[in-house]
Amino acid sequence: MSAITPTRRLEPRNRLNPGALLSALQHVYIWVWLVIFILPFLTTVVRSLETPQGGYSIEAYRFAWNAFSPNLWISVKLTVATILINLVIAVPAAFAIIRHPVPGKRFVLSALNVSLYTPGAVMGLSLAITYAYLLKIQGTTGGLIAAYTVGTFPLMLVPVIVALRDLPEVYGEAARTLGASRLRTLLRIELPLLGPGISAGILLTFVIVFNEFLVTLFIAGKSDQPAALVIYGLLGRAGFAPSTAALAAIMQFTSFMVVLLFFKVFGSRYLKGTYLG
Amino acid sequence: MRKYGPGGVLLAPAVLVAVVFSIVPLIYLVRVSLTSESTFFFASPENTLDNYRTIWNRYLPHVWTTIRLATAASFFDLIFGFPFAYILVRKIQYRDVVRVLMIFPLFGPLYLTYGLRFVFGANGPLAPLLDFLGLDSRTLLFAYPEQLTIIGMAIFTFPFMVMNIAAALTNVDPTLEEAARTLGAKPRQVLTRVLLPLSWPGILAGFLMCFGWNLGVFIVAMLLGNIEQQRVLSLTLYQKAMSQFDYGLGAAMGIVLMALAFSVTWLSLRFSRGALGA
Repeated sequence: MSAITPTRRLEPRNRLNPGALLSALQHVYIWVWLVIFILPFLTTVVRSLETPQGGYSIEAYRFAWNAFSPNLWISVKLTVATILINLVIAVPAAFAIIRHPVPGKRFVLSALNVSLYTPGAVMGLSLAITYAYLLKIQGTTGGLIAAYTVGTFPLMLVPVIVALRDLPEVYGEAARTLGASRLRTLLRIELPLLGPGISAGILLTFVIVFNEFLVTLFIAGKSDQPAALVIYGLLGRAGFAPSTAALAAIMQFTSFMVVLLFFKVFGSRYLKGTYLG
Repeated sequence: MRKYGPGGVLLAPAVLVAVVFSIVPLIYLVRVSLTSESTFFFASPENTLDNYRTIWNRYLPHVWTTIRLATAASFFDLIFGFPFAYILVRKIQYRDVVRVLMIFPLFGPLYLTYGLRFVFGANGPLAPLLDFLGLDSRTLLFAYPEQLTIIGMAIFTFPFMVMNIAAALTNVDPTLEEAARTLGAKPRQVLTRVLLPLSWPGILAGFLMCFGWNLGVFIVAMLLGNIEQQRVLSLTLYQKAMSQFDYGLGAAMGIVLMALAFSVTWLSLRFSRGALGA
């Protein structure tokens, strides 16, 4: 019998190669996590499209847009205002830290960064108390912008410092030697060269402020609330209704598109050392 | 090198904002924590240490719950994050895809937890998998509040762990691993004798960063936990101060939470190189 039966030999390519298997498993592991990252968003989108009758429609988006577009605009305005203020205070601060001798530099930097390490609820409560007792700006737009500014300008500071450190001083010196004024040197040479670092700071500020709800919860008024806080508020009232899901989907989609645009234009180099890097 | 005016003038706006809206409020928080209930806002505040005594006598379990959840979620991140970071740095080419998709948890725990309610809820996308594992997707949210809260916290902080470890592993020369293997080291030995010792500052920095974020858990415990998980300090201080107007006790809880967070931050800054290099 055995003489007739041809000896069965596995072809090499059919044999299970331990190296290839391990490599495949590694890719699977990464992709499982990538699915975990986007699954909550995708499920939110699916739920926002579902109707009580069991079909799908974009009715929830129409409703969310009609009811909450003022809040979305408030979020956009607050974010833009915070970004502008962050630019005005963080860019000079970065110049001071890199280019100028500042006594107690480490201590000053730590003091500037305190808000980064304060848990959101603690920051919210401390601001609520201070706004009510000392500054009398509870429930105001200015109070919100101040809170967002103090919470995010360190995130603007970091990438600008990184960019400024990479920028040789000779460019500015060359421009000055060739007769450019200080202001002209700053505006035409140094700030454009810092562009990617500054835009990284803008991106970080945007991601945080646009989606902030916790500090906001402590200090915002009852009306004119930013969209992220509206979502939080709806959890108690409308629960997990499609319109709430639609608003959450809109917020995430907008944020994601801005991040994608940034990566397309600037790459991720200047996000290194920040929490998006 | 005074090119654009003295450094002090350039720093002044930033320092002013930090002092008025971060340092002063924290000082007020300390002050309020030493007054009873909402008497701080009255003409004559009632000074007392009772708030801290109350925390010691009645709210210690809340402190432990906060620490327990943060520890568990951070270990979850560490165990799953190290292999992720290693594969990301050493094995794959599509790092930009990973980086872009890893952004989603960073939009914050609100949307993430909101989405997870659907994921773990009845007829969620995981229902077939859960059925296969013998779990009932209709009751999952109520049956495993502790596990789901930890998972929710861990997904939110996972990118922080991965980025810290990946940064550390990038600086470990791959030829060291090859050398160890050539000299006959088993994979486990390469890990424990080469990789872990060389990357452990990054691992520790990642762990502490995740721990610091996880200490402040609010919405995850609120939406995925039950009464036990909802005892975390952030939620309790919100209820005490903003719903029951017991500002004194709420502020004292805030001070305890901040003391925890700051000691962790202090440790992590000691161990990490620090993004600022300052």
